[in-house]
Amino acid sequence: MKLSLNWIKKYVPLPEDMDLNQLAYDLTMSTVEVEGTENLADQFKNIVVGVIEEVLPHPNADKLRICKTNLGGGEIQNIVCGGSNLYAGEKVAVSRPGAMVRWHGEGEPVKIGITKLRGVESYGMICASSEIGLFDLFPFTEEATILDLSAFDAPAGTNLADALDLNDMILEIDNKSMTNRPDLWGHYGIARELAALYDLPLKKIEPFVPDQVLPVLPIEIKDTQRCPRYMGTKLEHLYVKAAPFEMQTMLWRVGLRPINALVDITNYVMLATGQPTHAFDSDVIKDHIVVRRACEGEKLLLLNDKELILCEDDLVIADVESPIGLAGVMGGAKDSILPTTANVILEVANFQAPPIRRTALRYDNRTEAATRYEKAIDPERCQQALSLSISLFRELYPEVEITAASDTYPEKLKCAEIDVSLNWLERRLGKRIPNEVISSKMSAMGYTVTFDGDNMHVVVPSWRSTGDVAIKADIMEEVARMFGYENFEAASITTTFDSAINQLEVDIERKAKEYLAFRCGMQEIFTYPWMSDEYVNAILQSTEGLLELAAPPSPTERYIRSSLLPNLCKAVTVNLRYYKEFSLFETALAIKDSDYTTPYYPNEALPSQRRNLAGAFVGSPDDVTTLFRKAKGVLEHMPRFTHMEGFTFKKEEKPVWADDVVWLNVFIGDAPAGNLALLSKKAAMDCGIKNSAVMLFELDMDSFKPFTSRTNQFVHLAEYPMTDYDISLLFDSAITWAEIQKTALGCRGQNANLQDVAFIEEYKGKHVPDGKKSVTLRLVIGSANKTLKTEEIEACVAVVVKKLTKNLNAETR
Amino acid sequence: MKEKLDILLQEGKDRILAAKTEVQLQEVKAFLLGKKGSLTELMKELPKLSPEDRRSMGQAVNKAKNELTALVDSHREALLLKSAEIPADFDCTVPGILPPGGALHPITQMCYDLNDAFRSMGFEIFQGDDITSELSAFDTLNFPPAHPARESMDTYWLAGHDQGEANEKLCLRPHLTGESVRYMQTHKPPYRFVYPGRVYRNETTDARHERAFFQYEALIVDKDLPFTAGKVMIKSILSKVFGRDVPVRMRAGFFPFVEPGFEIDMGCLVCGGKGCSVCKHVGWIEIMPGGTPHPNVLRAAGLDPDEYTGFYVNIGLDRLVMMRYGVDDVRLFHSTDLRFLSQFR
Repeated sequence: MKLSLNWIKKYVPLPEDMDLNQLAYDLTMSTVEVEGTENLADQFKNIVVGVIEEVLPHPNADKLRICKTNLGGGEIQNIVCGGSNLYAGEKVAVSRPGAMVRWHGEGEPVKIGITKLRGVESYGMICASSEIGLFDLFPFTEEATILDLSAFDAPAGTNLADALDLNDMILEIDNKSMTNRPDLWGHYGIARELAALYDLPLKKIEPFVPDQVLPVLPIEIKDTQRCPRYMGTKLEHLYVKAAPFEMQTMLWRVGLRPINALVDITNYVMLATGQPTHAFDSDVIKDHIVVRRACEGEKLLLLNDKELILCEDDLVIADVESPIGLAGVMGGAKDSILPTTANVILEVANFQAPPIRRTALRYDNRTEAATRYEKAIDPERCQQALSLSISLFRELYPEVEITAASDTYPEKLKCAEIDVSLNWLERRLGKRIPNEVISSKMSAMGYTVTFDGDNMHVVVPSWRSTGDVAIKADIMEEVARMFGYENFEAASITTTFDSAINQLEVDIERKAKEYLAFRCGMQEIFTYPWMSDEYVNAILQSTEGLLELAAPPSPTERYIRSSLLPNLCKAVTVNLRYYKEFSLFETALAIKDSDYTTPYYPNEALPSQRRNLAGAFVGSPDDVTTLFRKAKGVLEHMPRFTHMEGFTFKKEEKPVWADDVVWLNVFIGDAPAGNLALLSKKAAMDCGIKNSAVMLFELDMDSFKPFTSRTNQFVHLAEYPMTDYDISLLFDSAITWAEIQKTALGCRGQNANLQDVAFIEEYKGKHVPDGKKSVTLRLVIGSANKTLKTEEIEACVAVVVKKLTKNLNAETR
Repeated sequence: MKEKLDILLQEGKDRILAAKTEVQLQEVKAFLLGKKGSLTELMKELPKLSPEDRRSMGQAVNKAKNELTALVDSHREALLLKSAEIPADFDCTVPGILPPGGALHPITQMCYDLNDAFRSMGFEIFQGDDITSELSAFDTLNFPPAHPARESMDTYWLAGHDQGEANEKLCLRPHLTGESVRYMQTHKPPYRFVYPGRVYRNETTDARHERAFFQYEALIVDKDLPFTAGKVMIKSILSKVFGRDVPVRMRAGFFPFVEPGFEIDMGCLVCGGKGCSVCKHVGWIEIMPGGTPHPNVLRAAGLDPDEYTGFYVNIGLDRLVMMRYGVDDVRLFHSTDLRFLSQFR
């Protein structure tokens, strides 16, 4: 919302030398956010009133003229102009070199210079109203009409802002910062805040008292809940004319287009008081005005020529025949002010806020009036708006006659009353503020404050009583902001120490993530909680048990993830454009339309939401073994590095997306904790992944069992040397490493010097017969009592080889 | 024989010094001093000499042998030193090798920095869930029944759960604040805790707007805590993020779940408060909302608002990370693009 400082000054005597930036700062700190300030005169820099002394033909152009123009101070300049309404003695707006104008009222402003036009030098430019942003004040229909200022009493050389009396400061308020303050949507409300801030008096708007008892204007209100108050006033002997220039500029400077005096008065009153008003042409109203709910399917043509098909939730202003306006939103075409209008009914009414908002949204018609009504204006303000309206009508139309009036206000607004303990206030503010200070600031804002011992009784003014101020905390805020938030020093936070924070379940997630990133070289990613259909089909291969968004970001992104893998595969696809080998991980919730629980409120059932951890390793399809071992190694060692119960791997149920052979289920104890597998060729293709192998894992972090402390165990350093002895043996391909290791370790009974058996590598191919594989294993051999002799080491090896040969048909190479 | 020895000694010395590698030196040593070496051969001739000559020659041969052995040793040492010598043209400007390692997401990094700061002040960390109800997202937070944020143009409701009573309507959480009530309901006062997380709004995306973004909230609740205690929390966050004290101001703001509510600004770090395009020429940047929990929120959490009060701050992590690194497009955070993510180590 834009505010004019001059307009505000009509209600509060701000000092002439008021620093606008300070005012903007103070308002921002205490009341509403001032987004910007603007000196209105700035846009008229270097634009002055010129008087054309002589209009001469242009030697090289038929449509151009050379105007000898008096720019004041004895300065006469030749200005080339193509205007159609040029004459000697005309006062015009001249943009001197340096002024900013919009060519033909369009595009970005450009700087005027001294230029040659068809061979004749032109000192600046004689402007049309549209070229200097004044079209709304000086509209024209014929092209090439220049702005004729002859009616203004300003000598040549006067700056245009002075000539038109446009020296003003404009404040731009962030509307969002005052959604809770219906009282601030007009200049008077902001003036009231400033009066309180600066301890200045606030001017009253004199109430309208009719000269005589007026006949009652019949108004029928069928829904007094929706329309708590309706003041109707019939005004006669009016006619359509332009409003005085000053009133027009007031509207214009805060962004509204002047139309005619009748409409401008209603807009002016709204911008002044924040209370919308409406003027109907009373001659077209059949019998009397009815305020009622619309009938389902009823039609209404608005004054912007949009035809609406109404519903029962809409409130309309109607006559006995048909609707004539959408209450609180916009008037209808039927009764709008026309050039022939002579008699009007002025509506100053109060409407219930939420339905106005619904109606405005329903028809996508969020007018200035609707924007104000939906903030919940207090019905008392109607009186103020009516008074201002009447005084303006009388000023602009001395011949006006008020012939009938009525005020339907069955249930008077009750002002809120709040009791506040001064001790409580002091504790919450961290400071004692003297009663006199509270009292003076609060009464400046319209509160009535009385003290009784520790109690402060506050009567809230009507304009803050529609929900805005209702509780003690609201009063605390009023006191604090008027005292100045900057005048409160930061208070330290005191504490009592019971015990240190120990949140294992929170820490385990961080440990796991840091392990994956820092130790395993993986990159953390974040993806959305919804999945693309393409990846749902490729990975999950079913939409059963998935939750769906009612209004998804796109039609193909409606399912909520039950697994992190679809989005992870999408991330793989994204990155395969730039990288061949990489690894990613993500932690997020996996959500399923099942296992509903009520962890917080007995009647609030929430779906299953498990914190999952998923990872992807991308590499060449030529070496799946290494990729598999890398991925498996990350999981195998995670419990050790993060200090939690270990994982075991089993093959129990193949994930649908997994390769037929390369897959494992992960367990913690006997409980399933996730999967580790190679993405199947088919699923990879469906994801658009070609020529890359992808190992995936997904774990349920909520099933992790963190240890309460670190669990590494100290083992005494070996006193005598240990020997690593590597042997390569041929096995049938089908023999697994697990079998080999188990068999080899089984020799410990026979030879106590065998300490451990480790995998070194597996090889198939050249020099290895089909159906066989060569496995290199490392025997760790040593004794706790002595240094072993070569023969003793070799004896141990022989035992292992013999056993492997006997039990697993191993062959030495 | 004397001449033979002299020649052998001289030749031996020359050959030792001529050896360029340890292996060559070993060969030379064997040739001279080995079992079948020249000096050994020469010594075999000693018995043929007269006892007197034998003695003097014997001494001479031994002396030669010692001399040669010493020379071999010293030359070996010289060769060793020489072989360890780095050529003078070694290039120290070649780049180092990046240690292997991935990275946490820049948002996670920021979140952990803040967690560390708040933990040091005795705050617990709480994690809520993505799916919540209208009851928790709006009703317990004092949002009026017709508040625009409840509408589907703002909040992602779940299909089949978007009708009915507030406790039956489910959505992706539109803000974190509802989690504060969940925490309070399940813990005992006084409270000090943070609850980082992601929230979701039905928005059109562009460089400054996202449908999913990260928030970080902190709440402290105690008996008779003045609202200005919030300043300490705010200062802690900002000094942790920016590594120095940052000027902070609290000004009037309105949010349904706080009373009084504040907009919290920090001094613009680009211009130092003088005014620049980043801060729209006001010298301050709006950084987070905050305020005292509304009495209705405390009541929803089962507390007596006359007894307890507190202070919230809610900070947008995306924006903070963007300011920390100069990231100019919020959508990059969910892009999963390694070219972006790998920049933050």
